[in-house]
Amino acid sequence: MPSRIMNWIDQRFPLTSFVKHDLTDYPTPRNLSYWWNFGFLAGFVLVLQVATGIFLAMHYKADVAQSFDSIQHIMRDVNYGWLLRYMHATGASAFFFVIFVHMARTLYYGSYRAPRELLWWTGQGLLLLLMATAFMGYLLPWGQMSFWGATVITNLFRATPFIGDQVVVWLRGDYTVGDATLTRFFSLHYLFPFLIIGAVIVHLVALHTVKSSNPSGVDLAHKDNIPFHPYFTAKDLYGLGVFLIVYSIFVFFMPDSLIEPANNIPANPMQTPNHIVPEWYFLPFYAILRSVPNMVGGVVAMGLSVMMFAFMPFLDRSRIPGGAHYRPIYRLQFYLFMVDMLVLGYVGYVPPTSQTMMIGQIATLCYFGSFLLVPYISKVEERWLIRRGLPDVVAVLIDSEEQEKNKRKAKGNK
Amino acid sequence: MNKLIAVVLACGISTLAYASEAKLESIKVATDVASVERGVDNLMNSCHSCHSLKYIKYRDLVNFGIDKHKVDGWRAEQSLDSALLAQMSESDAIQAYGKAPPDLSLMAKARDGGTNYVYSYLLGYYVKPDGTTANHIYPETKMPDILGMSGATGEAQRATIKEQAHDIVSFLAWAADPHAQERNRLGYYVLGYLLVLTGLLYLVKNQIWARLK
Repeated sequence: MPSRIMNWIDQRFPLTSFVKHDLTDYPTPRNLSYWWNFGFLAGFVLVLQVATGIFLAMHYKADVAQSFDSIQHIMRDVNYGWLLRYMHATGASAFFFVIFVHMARTLYYGSYRAPRELLWWTGQGLLLLLMATAFMGYLLPWGQMSFWGATVITNLFRATPFIGDQVVVWLRGDYTVGDATLTRFFSLHYLFPFLIIGAVIVHLVALHTVKSSNPSGVDLAHKDNIPFHPYFTAKDLYGLGVFLIVYSIFVFFMPDSLIEPANNIPANPMQTPNHIVPEWYFLPFYAILRSVPNMVGGVVAMGLSVMMFAFMPFLDRSRIPGGAHYRPIYRLQFYLFMVDMLVLGYVGYVPPTSQTMMIGQIATLCYFGSFLLVPYISKVEERWLIRRGLPDVVAVLIDSEEQEKNKRKAKGNK
Repeated sequence: MNKLIAVVLACGISTLAYASEAKLESIKVATDVASVERGVDNLMNSCHSCHSLKYIKYRDLVNFGIDKHKVDGWRAEQSLDSALLAQMSESDAIQAYGKAPPDLSLMAKARDGGTNYVYSYLLGYYVKPDGTTANHIYPETKMPDILGMSGATGEAQRATIKEQAHDIVSFLAWAADPHAQERNRLGYYVLGYLLVLTGLLYLVKNQIWARLK
């Protein structure tokens, strides 16, 4: 009977072949470390955010006169409303944390390199969508930081050439952040997650075309693949358990550590808070914005700082596989970049003084410098490594990759 | 687990503590009904004439375990479901102080330093050389030294005032986050469950991966 049902379905929908192609027969490198768990975790957090968000929207009111009160209604009167809201607020941070680790892994192991450029770029698009969604969601509680954060960030669009002022009014729906802004941000905050889901599907289609990279950088033809299910479903579920433990510590024991105290004060357009700070996940980019004395320059620098990652496939000119694994200088550069991010985050968090401004400017230079030096350093490093003598494995890998490339080219020419 | 929570908490608190310039006294708020009841009692006498707690209803107090007779005394003719609004109208308050006294429902969470801030602020009054009182935590405050810290004579009186402030802050902490205890209790169950589940998932993962060797 079950096989008859499956046959019936398979004649109409490729269910069995889908499960085979993408789960039970999907080849996955067996040497993936736990750093490869974070893509699955990001998908999980996305579902968590959508699920909690839908229930929050049942009780939330997008109206400047009511939204702050409706959050308190959720926190105090709705059954387990506090749980939904703390899960959603903590989930936003968790999402960025997971995505940042996911990106750091890609950078470290050079997973963005051919043939995974499109996979990397769809991820870059997802990052932008995620940032937009988080930014709009932050306005909804209508606290002081919500209001002033949205005011500062929408104001940045004044930097648009010629039509800057009109763009700002168009975004806000009013001359200042107000009811029109709140309702449209709510509407879009509900829409964007579904765009993200669509983009995730594109991301996964790209992934399943090129398959996962792996720590050794070994070419697909040479490496030892195992089916995704059951090996990586089991590994991902264990990783999920660890993630949920950390997540629950935040949700149940320190949920307010991720919420700015000023956001517990209703928005007041007449009173600017002493110190406007974005959420922690925007701090490095915010620091770059503030480091450039000129507003237009700052906006361009901030935009570029987020987009720089997309250029990595072009910037990295080394043929040595395995990312930082076989490349000591690139590895050092990676760690310095991480430190630089932390410095920028700190500079973005503290009130600006001449001292932190200077640190911020140096860190900004280091930020862009570490990207712009990649083409040069990667070439020099490659030459140095080859002169020093590559491990046999790596030499073989470079050769095979070269052959693959030629084969692809030959195919293309035919 | 507790240690981990403590370490993570310490990191969280240290970032909070850094944010405020004036030095705050660090306290641990009480969560027992008796302290919270003393706190709300003090608050109804000292603060409630000007400050509202619009997200708290009288029924919430009764449900938490505050003496019903006391609550009935406070609410007088108002229904159990009415919020703790200030006795003074907002326009009168603005006339008297120049601005509306803030609602206290979320006060324990609405300042950098949280409960430490409120506690230090309540006790932060002193007499300036010119004879007027001022507050070193919030110099621009319009609120009078309601607990009388600046005029206190002797250690005994100061200790009493500190206790009062501590009780008030304990109540405000409850008011800002009434589900905190329920949340923590549930949190231990969730963590316990997740630890067992994750341990089992680890074993499952190992068992499945053992097939490869």
